[in-house]
Amino acid sequence: MARRGVGTWIREGVWEIPLRRYTALLVAAALVAGLVLGVRVLLHVDRSCGPGVARPEGSDECVGVATGPYDFGQSQLRDVVRAIGRENDRLAPGSYVTVAVMLPYTSTSATSLNDIRHQLQGAYLAQYQANHGSNGERPQIRLLLANPGATGAHWRGTAGQLTAMTAGADRLRAVVGIGQSTYANKQAVRELTRQGIPVIGSSITADDLANGQGGKDPYPGLARVAPTNTDEARALASFAKVGAGKALLVYDRPGDPYTRTLQQSFAALIKGSPYEPQPFTPPDDRSEEGTTANTFRQITHLVCDTSRETDTILFAGRHTQLRQFINALGGRGCQDRRFTLLTGDEASYLTHEKELDRGALRHNLSVRYTSLAHPDAWTKDPRPTGGSAADFAVLRQLLTDATREPTGPIGRAALDDGQLIIGYDAVRLAVHGIREAVPAGRTVPALTDVGLQWPQVKGSLRVNGASGWICLDVHGNPYDKAVPIVELTPEGGSRFVRIAWPEGKPPGRECLPPS
Amino acid sequence: MHRRLHGRGALLDVDPAGLAPRLVGLRPHQHRAHPYEHPDEPPFVMLTGARGLGKGAVLAELREAYRGHTPVALADCAEEQFRAPPADRPAASWSPLGQALLVIAEQLAEPVTGAGRITFPRLMSGLVAVAAGGWGDADSERIRREVERILLLNEGGSWVRGVAGRWAGKVAAKVVAAATGTGPLVSGAIEATLESVAEGFTSRRHQKASVWYRTYPNAGGNAQRGLILLSQHFRDGGGSREHAERYLVRALLADLTEAYAGVLPRMQRLGRPLVLLDNAQSAPGPGLVAAVLRDRAEGIADRVAFVAARRGEGREELPGAVRRELPEVARRCDWAPDTAPSSRALLLALPPLSPDDTLHIVGAVCRDTAVPPQLSHAVHRLTGGNPLGIVLLAESAAQALPGPAALGELLTAPLRAAEDGPAVPAYEALLDRLAPAEHLDELTVLAAAHDHGSACALAAALLPDTFGPASVRALQTLLAEEGLPAVPGRFVGDPFVRTLLLLRLHLRDADHGSWRTAHETLIAHYPGEEHARYRLHHELALGETEAAVGHLRDTFPTADPLAWLRTLRFVASAPYFHAHDAEGRDFTGRGDRRAAVALGGTDAEQAVPEGVDAVLHLRIRRLLHAVWLLADPLVLPDPQVCDRLRFELEQLSNLRPAGNALLWRASRDWPAAALAGRPMDGPGSATDADHGPDDRSGEA
Repeated sequence: MARRGVGTWIREGVWEIPLRRYTALLVAAALVAGLVLGVRVLLHVDRSCGPGVARPEGSDECVGVATGPYDFGQSQLRDVVRAIGRENDRLAPGSYVTVAVMLPYTSTSATSLNDIRHQLQGAYLAQYQANHGSNGERPQIRLLLANPGATGAHWRGTAGQLTAMTAGADRLRAVVGIGQSTYANKQAVRELTRQGIPVIGSSITADDLANGQGGKDPYPGLARVAPTNTDEARALASFAKVGAGKALLVYDRPGDPYTRTLQQSFAALIKGSPYEPQPFTPPDDRSEEGTTANTFRQITHLVCDTSRETDTILFAGRHTQLRQFINALGGRGCQDRRFTLLTGDEASYLTHEKELDRGALRHNLSVRYTSLAHPDAWTKDPRPTGGSAADFAVLRQLLTDATREPTGPIGRAALDDGQLIIGYDAVRLAVHGIREAVPAGRTVPALTDVGLQWPQVKGSLRVNGASGWICLDVHGNPYDKAVPIVELTPEGGSRFVRIAWPEGKPPGRECLPPS
Repeated sequence: MHRRLHGRGALLDVDPAGLAPRLVGLRPHQHRAHPYEHPDEPPFVMLTGARGLGKGAVLAELREAYRGHTPVALADCAEEQFRAPPADRPAASWSPLGQALLVIAEQLAEPVTGAGRITFPRLMSGLVAVAAGGWGDADSERIRREVERILLLNEGGSWVRGVAGRWAGKVAAKVVAAATGTGPLVSGAIEATLESVAEGFTSRRHQKASVWYRTYPNAGGNAQRGLILLSQHFRDGGGSREHAERYLVRALLADLTEAYAGVLPRMQRLGRPLVLLDNAQSAPGPGLVAAVLRDRAEGIADRVAFVAARRGEGREELPGAVRRELPEVARRCDWAPDTAPSSRALLLALPPLSPDDTLHIVGAVCRDTAVPPQLSHAVHRLTGGNPLGIVLLAESAAQALPGPAALGELLTAPLRAAEDGPAVPAYEALLDRLAPAEHLDELTVLAAAHDHGSACALAAALLPDTFGPASVRALQTLLAEEGLPAVPGRFVGDPFVRTLLLLRLHLRDADHGSWRTAHETLIAHYPGEEHARYRLHHELALGETEAAVGHLRDTFPTADPLAWLRTLRFVASAPYFHAHDAEGRDFTGRGDRRAAVALGGTDAEQAVPEGVDAVLHLRIRRLLHAVWLLADPLVLPDPQVCDRLRFELEQLSNLRPAGNALLWRASRDWPAAALAGRPMDGPGSATDADHGPDDRSGEA
């Protein structure tokens, strides 16, 4: 037989014979399906990191809401993540509601990660206490980690995931954390609250990430554990008695919500100052070094050029820039003059900062800042109202238990940066709101009811937090929250100075914000 | 790609489809389905025709076209294997039909594109039963040999090499043991076979096959009993054997039907299986044909496409069959079966090839040789489109060229059929295949005869005494059966065969003794004046022209012009194989002087008899030679001679005012017909039977 072409073979050797035709069609269909599948698999590399967590297009960051014990690749979070996972697994389906801890878990900054770990540890301890040490109150609390990305850039996806979790078996009832008052975080909070999800800011201090500023409530359902920058500044002022002629303001330009509110608060304090406020411009990601060190060297000269009465520097900036400024001040010309640098709670990040020139603190420079919380607050400065050592002792006991099974281990914990305490208090506030919102005869509150509880958190319904009493005003902001003033020590670490109060004095026993 | 079969497009064409694709359901040489013309029951196609018309070639081409695409079997009934049983096999257990079924089934079993081997469990059981009838005194070795071949029919294709035959070997051992054991021989062998069929294959198909013989008449629902009866009937011979054989045919067809039944086979197999039977006029052909047709008439359907070929027209054997010429069925058959079994056959006469086909064949055979431009025309004129004649003459030309290209020389030139085969003259090679070999010598002599009487005279003169008038009649009947046309006035009707036979007679003796004797005998056989034309014809064959010229000259003024023209034509149709000497005598040298005479070149030296019109005499002489030359199938018509013929007839028409119209008509028709290669049967030749032998020898 003459040699035949492939076309002829397909036509006559396959197509004409029904059995072979159908077999070939099946095989071809299978091949095409396999090919399509293969191509899809090849083109779409697996972007998943863990349950609920994936890398978005164009990014290598694992973001999303981890529904399993996923540590976002951070080994220092592993222990606490496992502990949370164990606690979550223990819960019977239907008996719990979910609280998400939203923090930038994929941050590359060691300082930020320390804070994140501490906050998460506090959150876990609050969960543990809510599930084990509250006399069988319902519902139980499941804790999930929600990561909007190191800079919060992927907040939209994460917020979408969280919104989806409000329905179904997850029953998300609150988002806790948020962290820094960045633009992305503001957007995220706006979206979450727009969806009716109660949000509890743990370390947010910025004024514009709060309700009640200018009489508006842009974030319905947002509650905060930390005082606003304004309150902090007021507390600082009441502590330091800063006058217009005695202080120089150094501020971040253009700044973010945190630095701007701090700057505005400081500017109000020193209204009429003879010195022009000195701006600096850091990179967008303020945890990066950038070129601000040069600016700070120049500002150092200006500091020395001030008159002898000037002994206070007000710093409205983030911690990386603060560290650079302190290091620059360490090498200032006028070492003989004594200066006190006052700043907001960002300075707490420097407690364990290795790159900080601690020698600078020995040369007539003290760095005092408002801390969100401090372990020594109630032991060294006992007060009849606004907080108590007993409330703090509960946390200390939990922390001691958490060094071993069954509560722990939760990894290396530290209290002096206040993050653990504030994380603990934030979740406690969430649990309080959730449990107060449970209707009679039910175990699970409606989503919207939780946020409605915040104005009631006052008086005897206040939360006796480890950082002090948490009494919320009608906008969800803490009223006359204790503000520990802390000083960085040359040895590393921080030293409690004393508690300051935004109102100038502790709240009354009834702890009711004035209307 | 394929060596094309010329002039058979009506059968094998693809687009539009010829008969074969419509019959088989497959395009030839392709594995592509084609719609059936008769989806329910195809006609049993029987190709008819004389020898050399290419029936065998058509069947071979069909097999080639469908091999590997659908099961094809080609059995040539003239083969030696169907003539007599093998030396050690008793005739009681052997018949040509049984052998044919075995051979056909073996070929059909071959795997084809898309489907595996076909098994024949029913036929196998039947054949074993029949063979067992002859094992009365057989040794086990012979039984094993016989049975193993039959058992292989049930061997399905296996992809493990070597497994084929293992089953057969096992069963053969069992059958041999049973046959040589103490029990009843036939039933033992049959039992062993049936058991093996039922055991070895557990599929439903084989179970079905093993009980097929239950329905054998009087079997009482017992397959084994049925087979024993079959074996018995076969041994009984006569009508009983026919009955048994018919059952065997049915078994073969049932196996084939089974192979095509079911979902899977229908998705695997295209078209119908094709069974080709060559020389179906001889046993086992007629038996097989009759069995199939009878079953079909009785409603036992099969799905086989049969194409058989038989010599002759088959009128007696298949009286009710539809008859068609091949070109008529090119698009559709117009065939519908009737009640009679023979009406389920379609007799298909193969026509001669056209001049175009001749040109193509000559061109194909002589591909490497430059052939004279007129050769294919001459070949077609001589052979009348006989495919075998065309092919052999073309081969002769291919072997002889460059060299003499005249047809007479090509016919006598040595021709090697095979590369290293012995060379025989081309005309011998042709006769070997165009005439029945056993009667070739008799036919050679009788070819010169015109009717029974003249044939008897020739037989008496040249053939042995045993060959009497009865033998002459028998030979005449045989020729008719062979499909050679019966032409009044010609003992051998086919002009090509007749020319070859006469050439053979001419060359039988070195001195042309037989030739001379034959013609002299016939001259003596026709002494009377009323038979003058015969006498003159044979005298002319011997080279004597004077008497013919004289007769024509003398009768011209008085005879009926039509009769005169007919006499002229008949006389001039005498064969002319050799050059003639000056006296016109047969002579062994070369050269053909007829043209010279016809053109008047020899008029000057010609002595005109006294007392005759010299001009008329010479004109008649020229005319006779011209017609003689133009009617010669071995010589191409010379335009110059044609022109002269026209002129001479014109002149003659002037001399006979009464017959002017006829003569003038002939002066126009004859040259034109001669040039075109047509017979010069000019005015008034048709439907004039009472004039006795018509001369058609002028035809090409």
